[in-house]
Amino acid sequence: MNAPAATSSAGASPDESTAQSRRSVDVLIAEDSRIQAKMLERSLLTAGHTVRWAINGAEALSMVRERRPAIIVSDIEMPEMTGYELCSAIKKDPALRTIPLILLSTLADPLDIIRGLDAGADNYVTKPYEATYLLARMDALLDTPLDASDDAGGVVLEVGLAGQKFRVKAGRQQVLNLLVSTFENAVTKNKELIVTNQALSVAKDQLQHTNTELTQLNEKIEHSNKRMVRDLKAAAKVQQSLLPALAITIPSATVAWRYVPCQELAGDFLNVFSLDSEHVGLFVVDVSGHGVPSSLLAVTIGAFLSSKVSDSSLLVRPGKEGGPPVVVGPAEVATQLNRLFQADEQAGLYFTFIYGVLHTPTGHLRFVSGGHPPLAHMSREGRIQLIECESFPIGYVPDIEYEEHLLELKPGDRIYLYSDGVPEAMNEALDQMGNERMTATIEAARSQSLETGVVALLDAVQAWCQPKGPLDDVSILGIEWTG
Amino acid sequence: MTADLYRKIEVSKNDVVNIATFKDSKILDEGALDELNVELVRLINDRAGIELLLDFHNVEFMSSAMLGLLGKIHRKVGGLKGKLKMCSIRPQIYEVFKMTNLNKLFSIHKDEAEALAAFAK
Repeated sequence: MNAPAATSSAGASPDESTAQSRRSVDVLIAEDSRIQAKMLERSLLTAGHTVRWAINGAEALSMVRERRPAIIVSDIEMPEMTGYELCSAIKKDPALRTIPLILLSTLADPLDIIRGLDAGADNYVTKPYEATYLLARMDALLDTPLDASDDAGGVVLEVGLAGQKFRVKAGRQQVLNLLVSTFENAVTKNKELIVTNQALSVAKDQLQHTNTELTQLNEKIEHSNKRMVRDLKAAAKVQQSLLPALAITIPSATVAWRYVPCQELAGDFLNVFSLDSEHVGLFVVDVSGHGVPSSLLAVTIGAFLSSKVSDSSLLVRPGKEGGPPVVVGPAEVATQLNRLFQADEQAGLYFTFIYGVLHTPTGHLRFVSGGHPPLAHMSREGRIQLIECESFPIGYVPDIEYEEHLLELKPGDRIYLYSDGVPEAMNEALDQMGNERMTATIEAARSQSLETGVVALLDAVQAWCQPKGPLDDVSILGIEWTG
Repeated sequence: MTADLYRKIEVSKNDVVNIATFKDSKILDEGALDELNVELVRLINDRAGIELLLDFHNVEFMSSAMLGLLGKIHRKVGGLKGKLKMCSIRPQIYEVFKMTNLNKLFSIHKDEAEALAAFAK
């Protein structure tokens, strides 16, 4: 199959005619890559030549025999017949040997020169090449036509290359042509290399400079980081010191709690303490957001909710006329807190809050919840209820009154207060632990100690959150009224 | 141009009601919330009596920190004697509102049509 002859159309520009006194000749391309062939074809057409294209050496040979081209440009690696083989065949044929043949080669191997000489090639052009360079080489070859009588193929020359000796058959003109073209290639490549090297040198200097800067910056960052971590750890210690004492003795009740911040500082807080000889206060606070601002607020709130009797205390006020101190009811505590801690005055932070006052002689628990997860009440028999409340988080809506609830505990009943880090704990699939799993865990520990029960709930949360661990603070506070 | 001012919300108007549709499916980190805050405040522009509808239909995940932002907007609009409503909240997001009882504080509607009708009342 013959590739159709392509003629130049819009490609040729009139003002090029004087520029290089280009003649229009018939060029045969042998190239198995369609893309490269098309690119070469376009350049040749633009220069005013006519082009025929063969996809391998065998087809090229037959096209050459069919109609003699003025010049052949051939790739080397091709199926059916390589460029070397094509060249050999052309140069051995007396009728065809005067057709100049340019080999396109990557010249990666020094032996390519020998092969080219041996095959009788007239010029090498290294890939990748500038079209103008190839056209100039073509013109040069066409300007110095090969003599049919040139002793091409007649003389055997010996040459050493890469430590080996080779014997090649080559004519003088051919050798000269090949030498010049190869040398020209080398010079061009060398110039390119020098420019590239210079650019590389500049880039290297810049890189070194940037690297030095980077190292210095890294040192600064590490230093700052260490300082911040020290500060955070110190702050965490302060937060920890405000937690309930480990061993609290309360008449008619046992207490257990766990507090696990997810980072150094927690936005959660909890506490449990005696308010007076008959009352125990317990609360969990969960401040919105994360990090230092939230934990600062959590600590501040915790400090406010202290059991120390004073005029300014929210929880226990001095009695009138020297009488016993008065325990403030939970609803009033929440309402007061809401007045003191409006979100707009503290960077938009609000908090959820659950606070209970247990009257230890009777087991009556009064409690208030501000937007907090429901209190879990487990009877001694193991029946669990979650007590939902209706109030908003603290600091969210100004000037609202909070309402309290009353729970009458039976001996052996347990109460769990917790932060949303428990039911909202997420596993790898981003499923939440949920109320069912939480209450099931609580119920499972009903015949074990309260301490065991609280630890079991914490373990369940941590297990649920494997492998990354909980992403939120976890607070659990349990109290059992023994009656 | 509106397109340049708002990157986190799609702003449109229906008669007198300003509608802000959240663009992101996940509203989780502090940075995103700060940007949202800036854009919503910009939209409200201290206009007295403003009627604002927040459309959540794109939102799949929302951290509870978003409630802080919504509270701010609620108070701001309240201070301007305006009206704030929300619509198209998915069930799992609605849980976050229910947990804190804020579903009773905010005016939340099933979809835009219902919300717009409620403004008119």
